[in-house]
This record gives sequence, C-alpha cells and structure tokens, in this order.
Amino acid sequence: MSRKRTFLFGILASLSVFTSGCWSERQLTDIAMVAAVAIDRNEEGQYEASYQFFNPGNIAGGLQGGGGGQSPPVAVYTATGDTIMEVHGNMSRKISREPYYSHTNLVVISEELAKKEGIAPVLEAFDRGSQFRVTTSVVIAHGVKAKDLVTTLAALDKVPSQKIMQTLESTEKALGENIDIDLEEVINALVSPGREPMISGFTVKGDPKAGTKQESLQATEMPSPIVADGNAVFKNGKLVGWIEGTDARSVLWVMDRLQSTTITTAWAGQKDALSYRVVRQKTNVSADMKNGKPHISVHIHMEGDIGEVTVPINLKDPKTLEKIEKDIGKQVKKEIETSIRHTKKRKADIFGFGEVFHRAEPKEWKKVEKKWEDEIFPHLAVDVSVETFIRRTGLRNNSYLSEMKNGKE
Amino acid sequence: MEKAKISPRQLFVLMVLFQLGSSIIIPVGLTAKQDAWLAILGGMAGGLLLFLLYYKVGSYYPGLVPTEYMPKIWGPVLGKIFAFLYVLYLFYLAARVLRDFGEMLVIFAYPETPLFIINLLWMVLVVYTVRKGIEALARTGEILFTVVAILAVTSFILLVFNGSIDTRNLQPVFEEKPITLLKAMGESVTFPFGEILVFTMIYPYLTQLKKAKRVGLYAVLISGLILSVTMAINLSVLGFSLLSRSQFPLLSTIQTIQLAEFLERLDVFFMIGVIIGGFFKITIFVYVAIMGAASLFKVKESSHLVFPLGLITLFLSIGIAGNFPEHIREGLDVVPLYLHLPFQVIFPLLLLVGAILRNKKKQKKQLATK
Repeated sequence: MSRKRTFLFGILASLSVFTSGCWSERQLTDIAMVAAVAIDRNEEGQYEASYQFFNPGNIAGGLQGGGGGQSPPVAVYTATGDTIMEVHGNMSRKISREPYYSHTNLVVISEELAKKEGIAPVLEAFDRGSQFRVTTSVVIAHGVKAKDLVTTLAALDKVPSQKIMQTLESTEKALGENIDIDLEEVINALVSPGREPMISGFTVKGDPKAGTKQESLQATEMPSPIVADGNAVFKNGKLVGWIEGTDARSVLWVMDRLQSTTITTAWAGQKDALSYRVVRQKTNVSADMKNGKPHISVHIHMEGDIGEVTVPINLKDPKTLEKIEKDIGKQVKKEIETSIRHTKKRKADIFGFGEVFHRAEPKEWKKVEKKWEDEIFPHLAVDVSVETFIRRTGLRNNSYLSEMKNGKE
Repeated sequence: MEKAKISPRQLFVLMVLFQLGSSIIIPVGLTAKQDAWLAILGGMAGGLLLFLLYYKVGSYYPGLVPTEYMPKIWGPVLGKIFAFLYVLYLFYLAARVLRDFGEMLVIFAYPETPLFIINLLWMVLVVYTVRKGIEALARTGEILFTVVAILAVTSFILLVFNGSIDTRNLQPVFEEKPITLLKAMGESVTFPFGEILVFTMIYPYLTQLKKAKRVGLYAVLISGLILSVTMAINLSVLGFSLLSRSQFPLLSTIQTIQLAEFLERLDVFFMIGVIIGGFFKITIFVYVAIMGAASLFKVKESSHLVFPLGLITLFLSIGIAGNFPEHIREGLDVVPLYLHLPFQVIFPLLLLVGAILRNKKKQKKQLATK
C-alpha cells in the first residue's frame, strides 16, 4: 500500500468509528415514552406533573388475551418542581428510564392551576422543546385533579390518553359541543389580541381512585369513566368560566369548526318534535364599520337531513319542509345570539371576532386593539343570519306515526 | 482555475438550489408581517436587476472571474486589495452558512452533539466535493434537484389535503405602511437574491456563456417564486405570530401534517430538503472562495488550497458568534448593511462604471492606431 492509500484507509477507519451515529444514542430500553402529561399545582405552589408512560409489553401482550393478573398498559409517575424542566429533572429520581416526549399527544392542565396562574407559563416549555409536537392536544381537568385524568383506565382503548384524544375527536365531529384544540392553536389564541382560547374540559365521574386499578376493567360499566365536560373559557391566559351545551356549539359554529350536529326543534306547539342532522355547514364571518362602530356579520349556511320525528308531520310536502327550515334557522340564530350574549359578559372573545375585524379593517383595528376585549367586544353589534336546507328525509318519507290510530294529527 | 465545463441546465439547477438553500429555512422579509411573501416578490425584482448588473460587468471580461478583472479595472494595487476583501467576504459567508446549517441540526435533531462535530462532518463532505470539482457538483445537483422537487410537491399536496392552509392568515394585505413593505423588500434583495453574485466566479466554466444571462434570470425568477409561495404557505399555516417566533418555520409547517392517522411527523421531509439545500449552499460558497483565493494569489493547483482553507472556514464558523441568537441577529442586522450592501451593490456598480470607462479608452486607442 502506498502512503496515500494508508492515509485514506486511516481516515475512513476513524470516520466509521466517530460518525456512525453513536453520539447521544438512546436505546429503546433506556427511554420511557410519555403518552400524556398532567399538570397540577401543589400546596407549596409548585408544579406537580404526572406523566403517563406507555408500558409497551402490556399494550402488546393484552391482545393475546392476558388474564386478570396483568399489570396496566400505562404507568403514572408524579414529580414536582418550580418549572416544567425542573419536573423533568426530578422525575429521574423516580423512574429508571429517561422520559421521551416525541409521542406525547395530550397535555392536561388542572382547573385550579388554569384559574390561579394561567396556562401560558405552563405551555412555554412544550412549545420550545424539540421533542414536543405542536399538534399535541390540550384539555383542562374539570372539577378533578389533572392527575386523575391520566391515572384512570379506559375500557375500549388500551391507553387512557388515547381514549381522551379520540373522545375529543369524535365528539367534536358528532356533537360539536367540545373543541379539539392543539398546543399551537392555544398559543396562537393566547397571543392574538383579537381572540381568546376555549379549551375542552374532561372529568372523571365517580371515585377517581376506583378507576386506577386494573380490576376496574373487568366490569362492563367502568366505575369511574372519563367524560368530556364543558369547555373552559380563558381571558388573559386565565380560566374565567365554563361553557357547555348549545353555547359551546355556537362557538364552534361561528369558528366554522362544526362538522355535524343534531338540532332538535319544536313543531306545531309540540316540544322536541323533530331532529335535524347537519351534514355540512359553512360559516362566513365578516366585519365592517357601521355608524363609526365595529360591526360583525355571521352567516351560516347548513345542509342536512331529517333524522327523527316524534309527531306526525307531512314530510312529503315541500312547503312543510320550508317551514321546518325556517324554524331551525331561527332556533340556531337564537342559540348563537344567546351564546354571544353570555360570552360578552365574560369579556372573552373566544369567537375570534377581533381577528376578523383586524383582517377586514386593519386601520380601525389599530385604534381599538388595546381596548377590544374590555370595551369594544362587550358592546359589539353582531348580526347572525342562518340559511338552512333540508336535503333528504332518510329512508322513509312520512313517519309510521302518521298511520297509527292514536296519531295526534 | 480547473479545467471544467458545465452546461446551462446545470448552472440553472445550481443557482436554484443555492438560492433556496438557506433562505427556505430562515425566514426572510418578516418586517412586512403577513405581507412577507409580497416583500419576497419585490426582493426578487431587485435580485433580477442585481443579476443583470453582475452579468453586464462580467460581459466586459469574458472568461475572467471578478478577482481577476478587479485589478484590470481599478489598477493592480487597489484592485488587488478589493479582490482580497472580496475573497474574505466569500469566506465569511461560507462560514455563516455553515453555522446556519450546523445550528439547525443541533437545535432540531442533535441537541447533545457539539456544534463543532456537526460542522466538521459538513466540512468533510464539502471539502471532498470541492476537490472533485465543479463538474461533479453540478452533476450531483441535477440528481438531487429532482429529489427536492418531489419532496416539495409531496409536502404541498399533503398540506392541502391536511387542510392546514388557511389563507385568512394572509389578511389583511398591506396592513403595514408602504415604507415598511419597501424596507422588507430591500432586506430580501441582498439575502438571498444578491448572493447570486458568487456565480460570477463560475461563469468561465460555462459551455455556452451567452445563455448565462437567460438561465440566471430564470433561476432568480423561479427561486423567488418558490420562496414566495413557501412563505405564503408558512404564513397561512402558522399565522404570523407563530411564524415569527419559530426558528425554522418550514419545520413547524411540515409538523402540522397529520393525515389519515398515519401520515404524520414528516420532519424527515424537511431534513432531507434542508440537508440537500445546505450542502449546495455551503459547497458553492467554499468553492468560489477557494477559486477566488487561488486566482488572486496565482496558485496553479487550486486543490492544494482546499484543505487549509476548508479548515479555516470550519473554525471561522465556530468563532463568528457566541450563540445562535447572536448569529441570527448579525445575519439580519449587520451583514446586509455593512457587507452585502457594499459587496453586492456598491462595488459592482463602481466596477461597471470603471469597466465602461476603460473600454471607451481602449476603443479610442484602437481608433487612433487605425
């Protein structure tokens, strides 16, 4: 071998030692994947964070029909600290592996913490860290400790955090009364002067302790199920109240996030006479200046089917359908107006009207930006118009109720 | 000078990859807020003018690189001093870009690896490529350009289907004062578009020199459009506030993709694209810096300079800033005003004036001898 070749060989040999990716290598057995993070506040005013770790062996093993003696699919460890990074450090005293956050898809914050200190300081570390994803969902523990939401086991889903995520996703889709909001959206809303965040709440019904044991999974009905429960409204990063039901649905409606929902309305003096299922909808929110004051118009266009009638109605008649369309439109308009009225009292612009106004009237916005939430929003003029279309009535035209002798027609 | 030839197509590919290299990860024109994408388009127009300027100057001295024609225009002493400063400028930019990409990798993917090691690995690759010459680089460019294009198109389609693009984030248009928009345009003229200056060191290798003008204009135009569209997408996905807080907005944009429960966490798209872009940007800077040094000091075998000067670039990249924010601040505040402006605008203008005057003299002499 010539000198040059020896040299080249030496270089290559040393490269293969130093560059083969062993720097800060992490073996799968050295890391513990965090499924969810729950943050409470303890009496000393420190963060008390509970991490839900995947227990990989038990997630896979369960499929082979393991017995009752199995350990749960997740393990929860709790550590305290003045900052989230401190918690991370203190966690190492309790767990044999290094917490690994790339698969974290849920952050739970306790109601108390959100009320007293606000959520903004808590989320900073998650926004900054490169392991975290901006698509991580955020929820608030309503009436229970945040820890309870990650310690409670779920029946259909192996991993409890997965259960919360999917419940959120499916209820936003089917009912539209809870918002599935991720870290990025929360932070954007916190920062924007023309919008406040609204975050879904979750709670544990029954005794939270009962749901932490593997035995609880043996029952067909969980002793302490996790359920979506209202939405937290924030102002200046602090929780100021909860909204639920149609009030929350109206917010999603105005935000154009509603995918489908069911509207029950009266017919011929009969309450709750028919259900209308929204299949698709589109909301346009626009803003302008009217008489020197900001003015918002909300226009909703929705299409859907009749899903159920509890009284005999002649659904074959287009005129009847037209009347129903109008009734539904009126009802939705009322719901939304009520929701806006309630929200105005809290002076928290969760609808994002400020942002719309900013986009439409940038010059006027500069003047009102600072006082938007406290002075302008509570007296904002909002016009709501709803356009409803009934496209189909399902597999039947008239209900069998019309044929029954004791039909009320 | 090495003996090499590159085709107009290869030049085009190199130019586009070079222009997009670092500007696609580091946001440009943010002074204009949600109009940043418009500012980039304006900057592109400025970039086209600058390119024409460099081309015009070069056309007086075909086959020569700036470090060679500077002494011809400004006289041997002054010309060589400026040529030397010019080479230093190129080295500084090479080190800056190396730092950009090294930091990006440390922040995003390798938090525990020292920056020096990452930059060293970059430099090993760059030095190897520079030794292989411009032809090898150009051919690599042709292959990798396709890869980048496929990645870009795929990401775009995924973003559209993911529904993350919300064009309302681009409104209100023209919110800031026109002067702010102009300022943002001015900023984006020098970085990235003015950096096309380095290609004046590569023209002599072109097989068809005449085509350089058209190819260059196209390259600036296309990369400007890509950059503007990317910025518009970043803005509409992230919104201005999040974008301005992100070190690497494109990364955050790609991270929002969550399609069909399994197409998610596509950070690798960003990584591949950035590594390819970074490779060309750093390599071209180092290459032209070394060519400049070789022609200035009349070193016959320019490859002899590759190792020592590569090493200097490596150490320079570590030494130019104490931390990442300092590095970025220098790049956005100091460099455009005190380095880009003189080297990209003022000197070429002076060179053009000088070249025109010299040529007139020459013509007069020719006429007189006739």
